Amino acid sequence: MRPDLVRFAHWLARDRATAEDIVQEALLRAWRSREALKDPNAARAWLLTIVRREHARLYERKRLELVSLDEVVETQASPKVAEPEGELFALRHAIMRLPIEYREPLLLQVLGGFSTEEIAHELALSATAVLTRLFRARNKLRVICGMTPAPDIATDAVVASRESTP
Amino acid sequence: MTCDEARLLIGADPGGTTAALEEHLRGCAACAGLRQEMRALDDDIRRALERPPDLVRPRAAPPAWRQWALAASVALATFLALAVWLLRPSDTLAREVVAHVESEPESWLATEQVTADGIDRALRGAGVTLGITSERITYAQSCWFRGHYVPHLVVQTTRGQATVLILRHEHVPARRAFNEAGMTGVIVPAERGSIAVLARGSGNIDEIAGAMQREVRWLPGNP
Repeated sequence: MRPDLVRFAHWLARDRATAEDIVQEALLRAWRSREALKDPNAARAWLLTIVRREHARLYERKRLELVSLDEVVETQASPKVAEPEGELFALRHAIMRLPIEYREPLLLQVLGGFSTEEIAHELALSATAVLTRLFRARNKLRVICGMTPAPDIATDAVVASRESTP
Repeated sequence: MTCDEARLLIGADPGGTTAALEEHLRGCAACAGLRQEMRALDDDIRRALERPPDLVRPRAAPPAWRQWALAASVALATFLALAVWLLRPSDTLAREVVAHVESEPESWLATEQVTADGIDRALRGAGVTLGITSERITYAQSCWFRGHYVPHLVVQTTRGQATVLILRHEHVPARRAFNEAGMTGVIVPAERGSIAVLARGSGNIDEIAGAMQREVRWLPGNP
């Protein structure tokens, strides 16, 4: 479980040491409020939520040092898995370059398995706003990876359409 | 469902679906193609996120004083390397002689003279005898060195003590001096082989070396 939390925090904070600090603090908070966890099967999502909040708290409290990705390089220490892993290098870098408002819902969805409604609740956004951020996150990745971007959506029209749908 | 709505759903969750979306895709090749591409991209995203980013930050630019400190340390390292080079043993033989003497520090501590029999035992294995009087020798051992037993002696002189190794099987063409580990030394050619003399600090090694060249008697044969 802990490696999952560290990985999630690492992708959020983009810094390993900060991620370790976040997870340590999150686990401490989780222990203190363990009675709030009613369903043991939901422990993973619960802990991921605490990690995300701890990251947000740290981000606000310390005005977390921004990592300039132009000054960041991928370490050579980690083992590279021949060709498939090499193909993912650009994508990993592209994810790192995503602004936090796009990277955060994407991580919650892909790594955390959260639904759109759960992400909306966690981020205090509307469901449509979450859908839009997720769409734009993937569209940015398409651009960074050299793919043709999908035409952007007319959000207002979509919102009006969704609100009119019974 | 409009194409905007379909693209939104596809881009937000390529793996998800609704009845309305499926109905739209049946009549819209563009959106169907987009979903196929987005699903492939999503597979890659999941694989990319499987392990942490493994990023490292480069160190911040060092302050100016550190550059001066770096320059000073480089200069000091260069000076030390030069000093070490100048004081290095002249060759491998000298280095091994020094290492052997260092490995027997007790030899410097002996104060009582070695008996004539003790000296003889140390010399016998190397096939030599010594004309020097036993009163001046406080340490005498037959040591294994470079595949042979060699006499290892400590001789007391008016200017302190000196170590002598009689190296019957080591030949040097000319006198070799060296300075290593606080010891000065010299290896001089002898009638058969060579003789190494070492002293801590600046002893009268050449004087002892000359005396040993005269006093060592090389016995016939090749022990």
